[in-house]
Amino acid sequence: MKARFIKENSGLPLIMPTLVVMALFSVLPLIEGFRLSFTDSNLLNKGEHWIGLQSYVKLAHDPIFWGAFLHSLVLTASVVVLQLVLGLILALALKQEVPGIRFVRSIIMASWVIPVAATAIIFQFMVEPGYGFYNIVLHALGIKANNFWFGDLQLAFPVIILLHLWRNVPFYGIAFLAAIQAIPHTTYEAAEIDGAGPWRSFVHVTVPGVRNMMIVMVTIHVLWTFNNFDMVYLSTGGGPVYATEVLPVYLYLQAWQSYSVGYASSIGVVMFVVLMIYFVVYIRIYERRET
Amino acid sequence: MLTKRQRRTFRYVLTYLVCVVAFLFFITPMLWIAYSSFRTPEAIFSAKIYTAAKDFTVDNYKTVLSVTDFPVYFWNSLRLGLVVTAASMLLSIPGAYGLSRYPLRGKNAYIMGVFSMQMFPVVLLLIPIYTVIFAIGLFNTIVGVALGQLMLVLPFAVWMLKGYFDNLPKDIEDSARIDGCNLFQTLSRIVLPISAPGIMVAAFYAFVVSWGDYLVVSVISQSQRTSTLTLALQRLGSALILRWGQVAAATVLTIVPTILLFSFVQTRLVEGLTSGAVKS
Repeated sequence: MKARFIKENSGLPLIMPTLVVMALFSVLPLIEGFRLSFTDSNLLNKGEHWIGLQSYVKLAHDPIFWGAFLHSLVLTASVVVLQLVLGLILALALKQEVPGIRFVRSIIMASWVIPVAATAIIFQFMVEPGYGFYNIVLHALGIKANNFWFGDLQLAFPVIILLHLWRNVPFYGIAFLAAIQAIPHTTYEAAEIDGAGPWRSFVHVTVPGVRNMMIVMVTIHVLWTFNNFDMVYLSTGGGPVYATEVLPVYLYLQAWQSYSVGYASSIGVVMFVVLMIYFVVYIRIYERRET
Repeated sequence: MLTKRQRRTFRYVLTYLVCVVAFLFFITPMLWIAYSSFRTPEAIFSAKIYTAAKDFTVDNYKTVLSVTDFPVYFWNSLRLGLVVTAASMLLSIPGAYGLSRYPLRGKNAYIMGVFSMQMFPVVLLLIPIYTVIFAIGLFNTIVGVALGQLMLVLPFAVWMLKGYFDNLPKDIEDSARIDGCNLFQTLSRIVLPISAPGIMVAAFYAFVVSWGDYLVVSVISQSQRTSTLTLALQRLGSALILRWGQVAAATVLTIVPTILLFSFVQTRLVEGLTSGAVKS
């Protein structure tokens, strides 16, 4: 009995330390977050009371929350879809063996490794009215754009999307490139012998070849984008007038500016539930496909 | 119908078009801030792209490095990054190796569990983590921040390394074991050397996440003493009077270490990052 247990679980000592740290710093905090969402906990006054579903009722009547909820969904969906399409186009270009392509391949992912705090500064500088790079260029082209894009009600949200694309599209491009390069040459040759043109060999050889990579990239980036806090917080702070407010930023402001930890936690629980639904649906579809 | 030659030309033109647009969009902003960090305020505010040679200066860097506490923040970011990288590798290498090589009941549940942890909203987790770190006296300490950042790194690092180990041939380890190597010897003499490229990428990932983190630092470190570059940048960028030359210099100093490290792992980066995705 004991011997069998040891034999079946001999990997346990190796993964135990990681599991303990994950339990302490992810699982337990998540459970505690759930509990807090049913209390009126506040960082300023000690002692908390059980208030049941009151925070959630308040959420349901909170227009800023619903705005942030919508923004988070739209941002995640549009960013992931655009990244997928643009990443694929980039990969198809990077795949061509033309002079100079190695140089482009080697530097293109630089935007992915720099801190988001730097990204926010760089773009604030690029769009400065008057002396920002974009405005200098636009001015030279005869287009007048004198407002600060991050502070513009109409432009702020698209600019946030642009920032996400700036950071992640090269990562998609290089990842898809790796998947495309792993497709054996003979498959392309066979398609050509069968009379397939560039379009058909793209649809029937390239796309199936990168399918797995696409699934992984999309899954990870849905989670990362939906939970992403710093891109919005550091560039617009959720403004102007909540035009770019997303759930993680709203939660952060509730917790660390208003100190309403209980209310903030209820926002976090909603975020978790949304991702949970996505995850369950995703696994269902994935499993059905496999069988 | 296009001839083969026309098709080739067409392909070249399209490829270069995409590459030029990509370069302009992805790389120019970084070049622009680097360029501006060497310009005088007059040159920056002139709203011209061109700068005369006499208007180039290193004063922005001198000011940032001597007048402000920038060196302190740099040192904080650096040691934080090193601590987080070391700790996360110490935990995730054996963890991922165990998941990849050893029998384990309900292994798929563990793997799925680790992967799904990336779904936990970090902003939510930070509330209880802050309370605990405050209670055990690690608030405003590098160790406290490092503990918080570990949870940003660990799930992806374990998942990524597990995929990397899965793709390595098993035979060498088996023969090492038959030759009488114990687990520790197998790990240090066989596994670590042959998986060095994958581990380098994981370590790079850990360092870059820690270096670029704003969220955890802003909650757990609220004193100047333990502030990091990202916090300093945010403060600089939201100041009422923006000295863009200095802001640009500070930004460049923040970016350069990550770009340098990136250039070392660059060729292996994607292979390592996405190895969890590729099953062979």
